[in-house]
Amino acid sequence: NEVKVRQRVVPIDPEEEADFERELRALTQESFESRKLELRTRPTLNMTLPMNVLDHHSRSGVEEELGDEALDEDGSGGNKEVSFKVLVKRGNKQQTKQMLVPRDCKLVRNTKQNEAAESEE
Amino acid sequence: EETVGGDDDSNYEFGKGVFSEHACKYCGVQNPACVVRCNVPSCRKWFCNSRGNTSGSHIVNHLVRAKHKEVCLHKDSPLGETILECYSCGCRNVFLLGFISAKADNIVVLLCREPCASGNALKDMNWDPSQWLPLIDDRCFLPWLVKIPSEQEQLRARQISAQQINKVEELWKTNPDASLEDLEKPGVDDEPQPVALKYDDAYQYQNVFAPLVTLEADYDKMMKESQSKDSLTIRWDVGLNKKRIAYFVFPKEDNELRLVPGDELRLRYSGDAAHPAWQSVGHVIKLTAQEEVALELRGSQGVPLDVNHGYSVDFVWKSTSFDRMQGAMKTFAVDDTSVSGKAYVDITEVTIVIFGVLAKDDELMSERKDYFKHMGHMALEEQDVILEGYSYIFHQLLGHEVEAQVIKNPLPRRFGAPGLPELNASQVFAVKSVLQKPVSLIQGPPGTGKTVTSAAIVYHLSKTNQGQVLVCAPSNVAVDQLAEKISATGLKVVRLCAKSREAVSSPVEHLTLHYQVRHLDTSEKSELHKLQQLKDEQGELSSSDEKKYKALKRATEREISLSADVICCTCVGAGDPRLSNFRFRQVLIDESTQATEPECLIPLVLGVKQVVLVGDHCQLGPVIMCKKAARAMLAQSLFERLVLLGVKPFRLQVQYRMHPSLSEFPSNSFYEGTLQNGVTIVERQSTGIDFPWPVPNRPMFFYVQMGQEEISASGTSYLNRTEAAHVEKLVTTFLRSGVVPNQIGVITPYEGQRAYIVNYMSRNGSLRQQLYKEIEVASVDSFQGREKDYIILSCVRSNEHQGIGFLNDPRRLNVALTRARYGIVVLGNPKVLSKQPLWNSLLTHYKEHECLVEGPLNNLKQSMVQFQKPKKMYN
Ligand SMILES: [Zn+2]
Ligand SMILES: [Zn+2]
Ligand SMILES: [Zn+2]
Repeated sequence: NEVKVRQRVVPIDPEEEADFERELRALTQESFESRKLELRTRPTLNMTLPMNVLDHHSRSGVEEELGDEALDEDGSGGNKEVSFKVLVKRGNKQQTKQMLVPRDCKLVRNTKQNEAAESEE
Repeated sequence: EETVGGDDDSNYEFGKGVFSEHACKYCGVQNPACVVRCNVPSCRKWFCNSRGNTSGSHIVNHLVRAKHKEVCLHKDSPLGETILECYSCGCRNVFLLGFISAKADNIVVLLCREPCASGNALKDMNWDPSQWLPLIDDRCFLPWLVKIPSEQEQLRARQISAQQINKVEELWKTNPDASLEDLEKPGVDDEPQPVALKYDDAYQYQNVFAPLVTLEADYDKMMKESQSKDSLTIRWDVGLNKKRIAYFVFPKEDNELRLVPGDELRLRYSGDAAHPAWQSVGHVIKLTAQEEVALELRGSQGVPLDVNHGYSVDFVWKSTSFDRMQGAMKTFAVDDTSVSGKAYVDITEVTIVIFGVLAKDDELMSERKDYFKHMGHMALEEQDVILEGYSYIFHQLLGHEVEAQVIKNPLPRRFGAPGLPELNASQVFAVKSVLQKPVSLIQGPPGTGKTVTSAAIVYHLSKTNQGQVLVCAPSNVAVDQLAEKISATGLKVVRLCAKSREAVSSPVEHLTLHYQVRHLDTSEKSELHKLQQLKDEQGELSSSDEKKYKALKRATEREISLSADVICCTCVGAGDPRLSNFRFRQVLIDESTQATEPECLIPLVLGVKQVVLVGDHCQLGPVIMCKKAARAMLAQSLFERLVLLGVKPFRLQVQYRMHPSLSEFPSNSFYEGTLQNGVTIVERQSTGIDFPWPVPNRPMFFYVQMGQEEISASGTSYLNRTEAAHVEKLVTTFLRSGVVPNQIGVITPYEGQRAYIVNYMSRNGSLRQQLYKEIEVASVDSFQGREKDYIILSCVRSNEHQGIGFLNDPRRLNVALTRARYGIVVLGNPKVLSKQPLWNSLLTHYKEHECLVEGPLNNLKQSMVQFQKPKKMYN
């Protein structure tokens, strides 16, 4: 039971696009520069992974609940998404939140490469 | 106390408050997974992550244009209510934030690019900073963090352009609460934007119609409130419900709104030595044949019953109907479930297929390009998007090109319905095709059995078991007629009346909700009955009893309504608070060509999935009093626009009203000759009636009148004395020949002439005065939808240089010519009328059939009057 709707596509005005891109870059650049000036000394990082997150997983890094097909190597037949955990702070507490990240996202490819490298070591 | 027992409507706002706070300020998308809130304290607006027609997503557009840098996720999004900030240093500048992942484990964290994600410290801590992924990528937020609205949601959304975004951002700098509508508000003296054929989205639709409805409402208010009349004479009476009724004559003029039952008036007496000043509000419950208004007063205290003269009356204007139209448009725009409804689905569930432009449509394409260029759009390309079925009607109403869709209702074996006459072939065809289509138009020319066909359709829709069917029409008369027919099929019908009309008598009283509530005779209801009785006797209840009474009544109303197969009400009535929790998948609107679009929308936003519009765009449309709104085409019905968009109406083709000689001209002029006769000459012979028709078996003639028109006493209308005198002679001849008064209708387009004829007949008629009083003399408009055996049409206009005014509208002529069953006489000046092409062809038609005559009635002769050359038709 599908409906076909013909929709207009308004082409993007290249001038508007260029103008917008310029402003976006300027804002990003400005943020970056001001940051460099404002922080002379590097703050210390508290980036250790919380143990409770790591405990439940095998060293391979693949989450068990994802099942077999979750990370099959060619990446075409299985899920389009991989389950990731986002590390956040709630007050002073560390927490992780489950999030689905598309398989072709750079983060996913990265993690897999690292895993491969680590298992070779 | 006047407010007790009054309308509950006053504190109910139809369609208000449906817009969620977290809807994208640009486009209205409100899926929590797709929106984020700008976290700048002075801003806090929500935006979505779709690009729409711009190069960056809406949220990124906002942040860049407003130079705001912090955002917060929605509480119902996967991460919950979260301000995006650097995990390490707490920096909230989204232009600096990005994700990195842990070397092992599928864990990511948000870090600022400088300084936290740079430098070497991370490497030693199991993190991999080499791939820092910015939060804003390709001018969008990462789509897995903030979802991109589905194609479906984006199609529903407001189509905002980059220019509009820049403008509204500018506006927000000085007025943070401004809306996009403020950008387009016309100035006081500007002409409003006219209605369009197609709309980008429901917001644009609303932006066009809302100002027009406001204009009409303002005009209506101004006009009605200025209609105060002084020095009225009252005749007092008491109704069966013991309420006071005031009878009085309410003089009216052309272009003035006529009072209708249900109207609210305030009656005032300024007081004298023996009486204090007094006033009371009441509802018009009827208009008598003697043109008296019957006003039922709400309160009976202190009524100066012994005074009959010196009263004043004001109109109490109510905005209810206009409010409901506005509410319906708002609901249509912001509530996904209002039309072909279902809440938004997860984007992964929707199949989206995008096609290229089909080559064969080139011609259409270039036409459309011109149209869009004309409309100031820059649209040059198109695409087809396949969506799930539920948004079909939504897009159809906006004029988007939607591929035909079939509803898989099983077809019945018989298309007629119990209790109704057998259907003819075109009626069967109409019923059959309607059942499987989501949107259908049925055109019912005069006398073609529109009501029977509608009732049969409703019967079969109801048998598909998709819940209650909603049946509407703009006028109460039409709703009553249809309710009666539907009830005859055996379906359970509830006729919902406005509270203000509960005292107005109805031919289908037993079907009305208020009657059924009063007569539901079960023991549980005895409490309600007791309270009702008490209220009737005392006029009011204690406040605790009143509360109890109202709650009981509401529950009973709901129970009865829920048990019905079909609910019938006016289009405006569909916005009644008593239906606010009801959903109707199937809606039929009769006389839909007499409703404005916003009016038609009211019954549609209750979740319609299948709609049938019945009407005839070749007859008169809705009356729009405000000239500005009329120029902007508010009078164009939804039915008409759908026809213009290419939806083909099913035309009922057999007429059962007119003598075949009478249907010939209307069929050829208005219906491409398709109208067939379901009655024979023999069935329409006036047996025993001795009337001097110039051609036997052709009961029609054009009676040539050369008398001049005059301006009426009021200065706002016209009359024509010679025509009036001849109308009286015709009426007298009919009456003498054995026709009774209620078989005759006198139609004239001018109020001046109407009043003059009524007066003239009663003074100069040679028969009993009472007979003339019983003859209905009225405008073309008030005869629409009705019929008489004999019609006398007085055209009035007769002048050398001016136009023919009201008579210029072909639709009005069509209605005037198609009211008669047995015979028609048209009185007019052929020299004047023949300038107009349609009248020219009507005159030619009469002449060719030797029915253009002059002279005394007992010696009619063919007229040799010369016609003028018709002017070219324009419009
Ligand atoms: Zn902001
Ligand atoms: Zn948006
Ligand atoms: Zn940081």
